[in-house]
Amino acid sequence: MTLILKLKKKLSAPVSAECISPDTFAGKQESEIAGLTLWEGNRKRQLSEIFEVEGISGSSPSETTIHIKGDLSKTRRIGAGMTEGRIVIQGNGGMHIGEEMKGGTILVEGNAGSWLGSAMKGGVIEVKRNAGDYIGGAHRGSTKGMRGGVIIVHGNAGSEAGSHMRKGLIKIFGDADQFAGIYMKDGTIVVHGNSRGRLGAFMTSGKIVVCGKAESVLPTFSIDKINRKTKIHGDEIAGPFYVFVGDLAEHGNGKLYLSQTENEHLKSVELFL
Amino acid sequence: MKGLLVKDGFVFDPMNNVAGEKMDIAICNGKIVEKIDNCGVIDASGMTVMPGGVDLHSHIAGSKVNSGRLLRPEDHYKDVERKTPVTRSGVGYSIPSTFTTGYRYARMGWTTVMDPAMAPLKAKHTHEELNDTPILDKGSYPLLGSNWFVLEHLRAKEYKDAAAYVAWIMRATKGYAIKLVNPGGLEAWGFGRNVRDIDDPVPNFDITPREIIQGLCKVNQLLSMPHTIHVHTNNLGKPGNYTATLETMKSVENLANNGKPNIHLTHCQFSAFAGEDWRSFRSGSEEIAKYVNDHTHVTLDLGQIVFTNTTTMTADGPFQFILYQMTGNKWVNNDVEIETSSGIVPFQYKRKNYVHAIQWTIGLELALQIRDPWKVFITTDHPNAGPFTAYPRIVAWLMSRKARDEIMKKINKKARARALLPSIDREYTLDEIAIATRAGQAKILGLENKGHLGMGADADIAIYNINPEKKDLASNPKAIRRAFSNAAYTIKAGEIVVKDGEITKSVVGRTYWTNVKASPSLLEIEPELQEVFEEYYTVKFDNYIVPNHHLSAANPITVEGRV
Amino acid sequence: MNVIRNVTCPICGTLCDDLEVTVKDNVIVDAANTCAISDAKFMNYSNPKHRNLTPLVRKNGELRETSLEEAIKKSAEILVDASYPILYGWSCTSCEAISAGVELAEEIGGVIDNTSTVCHGPSILSIQNVGIPTSTLGQIRHRADLIIYWASDPYSAHPRHMERYTAFSNGRFQKSEWAHYVARLRGILGKKRLSRASELVLMKEAELPVVSGGKLPPKFETDKRKLIVVDVRKTRSAELADFFIQVEPNKDFELIQALRLLVRDEEVETDQVAGVPVSLLEDVADTMIGCDFGVLFFGVGLTMSSGKLQNIDAAIALTRDLNYRTKFVIMPMRGHFNVAGANIVSTWQTGYPFAVDFSQGYPRYNPGETSAVDILSRDEADASLIVASDPVSNFPRRAVENLVKNPLIAIDPVVSPTTAMADVVLPSAFVGIEEGGTAYRMDRVPLPMKKLVDPPQNCLSDREILQRILHHVKRLRAQRGIA
Repeated sequence: MTLILKLKKKLSAPVSAECISPDTFAGKQESEIAGLTLWEGNRKRQLSEIFEVEGISGSSPSETTIHIKGDLSKTRRIGAGMTEGRIVIQGNGGMHIGEEMKGGTILVEGNAGSWLGSAMKGGVIEVKRNAGDYIGGAHRGSTKGMRGGVIIVHGNAGSEAGSHMRKGLIKIFGDADQFAGIYMKDGTIVVHGNSRGRLGAFMTSGKIVVCGKAESVLPTFSIDKINRKTKIHGDEIAGPFYVFVGDLAEHGNGKLYLSQTENEHLKSVELFL
Repeated sequence: MKGLLVKDGFVFDPMNNVAGEKMDIAICNGKIVEKIDNCGVIDASGMTVMPGGVDLHSHIAGSKVNSGRLLRPEDHYKDVERKTPVTRSGVGYSIPSTFTTGYRYARMGWTTVMDPAMAPLKAKHTHEELNDTPILDKGSYPLLGSNWFVLEHLRAKEYKDAAAYVAWIMRATKGYAIKLVNPGGLEAWGFGRNVRDIDDPVPNFDITPREIIQGLCKVNQLLSMPHTIHVHTNNLGKPGNYTATLETMKSVENLANNGKPNIHLTHCQFSAFAGEDWRSFRSGSEEIAKYVNDHTHVTLDLGQIVFTNTTTMTADGPFQFILYQMTGNKWVNNDVEIETSSGIVPFQYKRKNYVHAIQWTIGLELALQIRDPWKVFITTDHPNAGPFTAYPRIVAWLMSRKARDEIMKKINKKARARALLPSIDREYTLDEIAIATRAGQAKILGLENKGHLGMGADADIAIYNINPEKKDLASNPKAIRRAFSNAAYTIKAGEIVVKDGEITKSVVGRTYWTNVKASPSLLEIEPELQEVFEEYYTVKFDNYIVPNHHLSAANPITVEGRV
Repeated sequence: MNVIRNVTCPICGTLCDDLEVTVKDNVIVDAANTCAISDAKFMNYSNPKHRNLTPLVRKNGELRETSLEEAIKKSAEILVDASYPILYGWSCTSCEAISAGVELAEEIGGVIDNTSTVCHGPSILSIQNVGIPTSTLGQIRHRADLIIYWASDPYSAHPRHMERYTAFSNGRFQKSEWAHYVARLRGILGKKRLSRASELVLMKEAELPVVSGGKLPPKFETDKRKLIVVDVRKTRSAELADFFIQVEPNKDFELIQALRLLVRDEEVETDQVAGVPVSLLEDVADTMIGCDFGVLFFGVGLTMSSGKLQNIDAAIALTRDLNYRTKFVIMPMRGHFNVAGANIVSTWQTGYPFAVDFSQGYPRYNPGETSAVDILSRDEADASLIVASDPVSNFPRRAVENLVKNPLIAIDPVVSPTTAMADVVLPSAFVGIEEGGTAYRMDRVPLPMKKLVDPPQNCLSDREILQRILHHVKRLRAQRGIA
């Protein structure tokens, strides 16, 4: 069952939209959904003041699909905490999409803002274009980042992708900015493009794979070996890869896999092998 | 004239030997009076009426508490208080913002709370936060156990000079009582060291913790301070420390006057550890309780653990560093020149952890083995062993064996097998609870108008939805918890501030401080003090002093010192 | 003539409280114990050319004089109408004014943010990540035998910091190296003068600190107090230091992480990190471990260069690690005199130190989302109130464009680009000169700010202006039936 939300106006103040979730919509009539409250800046609004609501929701979250149309870059927390079902954002999404999400899927057809899938525990988020900073990150002050699920970004990612990550998979098909995998405890990050460097700072465990060029490797990582290939959740990625271990400043045992062919500037580390 | 009559409640007023009698309480102009006519009436029939709760040890304000707030946004974001027409907004959980602190205490029926650790150099900060803590009456204890002036005077056995200095400090910082934390150890921490036991001399100062404790105990008597010395022991938080605790109590045994209490050991649970190390760790509650039962000069409060995620914060810098090493959690340390240190580490108490489970039993064992409820008070050393909002749970544990057994079933197996707690049947009565949560605490603090409902007392009253005639509380711990979490009414200085657990009005609370009158005039020490002061500190003497008008409602308690 | 002693200086986070100010006929005629910056302020504060002296309201595109009452009413209307207003500034005013500001922000459902968002915000985020081992400045004065300034130039920005609290100060356990540093300072100045004149260099090179490379000088084998400066260029402070380490720009993170490895007795597998030879870093690490009490001060050069808060995470972690071996503390060099106070007041009232969003009726906090620069850059705010700050000069261009296109209220004693662009200007009194209150030093020690002279007519204190606006806001909201 599909429910369609169409943005009525250009947004300016942030709209706190955690109510847009299959878990909230399931089993509700169109009119009930239209009457849900959300915040636009410091004003309380009904959903129908901001969106045209059309269609039927399923009787359970798993049978509910929500399509949202328009430029949603000012929204926050769409799909937060969702457990099942599907959300499709037909345009740009805002911040905290799928925050603390436990299951279901979210597809963003445009760009996604920062904190995509922050502290998520399960489910799948896919972004067709670029995503902002702190993909799968943690709340301020918390050390609980992403704990499960999959985030796929087809474009580029901002800085600190997968910060405080504990489990799950983040796949970035474009480039990743600095500090991917910072404070990572476990889980996997794959960057098919290039990395701006400082990978895995403070990481204690987990795995980061970069198929493109990594600008630099931190001095607190040590070369371990060269592998011909590596496996991510059963899929093989062809190498060869330099494998670094770190962050040694944290007594870490995280692994960096950096393409040997794309990273000729790292050739000198082979001396230590 | 503002009057109010609390009618037909079951009144528990232990200081006046009233234990559950049905009677009326009359209030006029913020005080308890004999009778009142033509006024509002609260029908308290079928309810329990007690004096407003008193907490003599709760970290609610000041530099360290605020550093804890700043450190932990993750602690706040899911526990929020929205603004209402009568209240300010704020955040909770283990380190609530100031407004929220006041409201949450009031909702439980507590009306007087003491912040137990104020670095004198940062006294202004503490008072600014206390000013922003609504409803409650409050005060704060300056940290003096590693203060250079104190150490130097006591080393030279100049007790009168030390007393003059302490009297000056109370006046300068608007402080209420003498606080010692890991006496001498915090000076050692200035160079990253500690003292090993109460006879280990403080580096560079040639004085032992024992001499500091005894010295300040004497000073406390010389000044006729309203409260006793308030002591956080050496070696706190280390296995086997109960011996240091016994030594600390013994060290002032001979200084007691007519058997009156002269030392308060705070959050004693953390100082009642037996065993050699964390593996052989066990409860030392029996030994401590035995000593306390046999002597009259000691009171203590619990620092009762609750299983939750909280924030530890003490002036005991070296202890906090150990906690950081044990947990790997984020760590704040802040040493204050001339005076003290402090540290903060977030901490999760887990049921299934052997040590934490034993700690949980130690607190309750102390409360249940010490026979006289006037000697042992309920606290969580907020937020160290848990936030103060856990008091209703602790009251339920003490009143109901059933409530204890329920937790006992869920804790670490080894701890369950070794603990003494299951062998104890005692259950607190409501009267004993009234002593341990208000009357006893007010008495040891020397707050004459608090903790009772006799004529002239402050009209601070808590009314709980408990009918002691109808309900067998011991078999119904949930009802205890519910009632103490949301007072039916809280009355502060004669005004209804809470009804059915909701704040109905926010009033300004007073700040107590101890104004020692002594001769020769204490001002005489100022010129000499000022000279050394400006050599020691990085601030000017004049700028160190907290003026009276800095407190939004200052309430000096004047005492006659014997200096 | 009236000499006022123990005056706290309203300039920088060093918050010197030993100034002596002479007042004659409500005018400051002299100030002692000042630095060049505070001298300039005390001597020029009353210059009418720089002051806002009458309330102004913009009408038909022009700022026109108006009554205080009118300006306050207009401000209240702007704030009540706004659906996402920002209240920004706060680091150059008193805690009492900040407190009034938080209440106003709560009442109107706005965002209150202070200038730490553009200076030491990253330091605060770091503290929230890893904590901080620190102390008050007196502790350093008495005990520190190793003093490090990293990406900070106290000589220029905190002129009396070294004299009062660190290298030049005298303590119980540490004597001043004052004479030593003054001789060096003379050497440096003399050298410059001479080289300018005739390129005759008479000073021996060896007396001046070495630029990174080579070895630590012999002093490092003694137990005397030592001063190290780390920076991307040789600052005045660096010239004074016993040793200067020049780090490649934007490579501080790598350098600190390498030091962390060395402090843990691990090896670094390269020859140099961030332009510094590893052999030298090993010696520096040994010096850090070997000191009795070390301190690392860091400046905006570390918080605002590449890596931002991660630089601070690493620096704090380094300090923390060092505490396993010795005593070490770390402290941010806070800029404005009460920026620490802005964080402190905000924290006790709301739980959060800056970037607090009240739009949903309770405090929320997420810098990057709820911080002023970010909100303005994304064009989400529809009105702003600025107190004692000049974001039009300091913010990125896009943020400024969005700031000035919406209604803007400025409360400020001085004329600035922000007041020139504002729709309402409320002239206020200088805190620490014309108005008292409390401020917090960079080590969070509270100090009283004194009122030395009366403010000009029409110039109320920030606190009173804010309270009056709040009063009007409450009345307006009641009239409109908003809860």
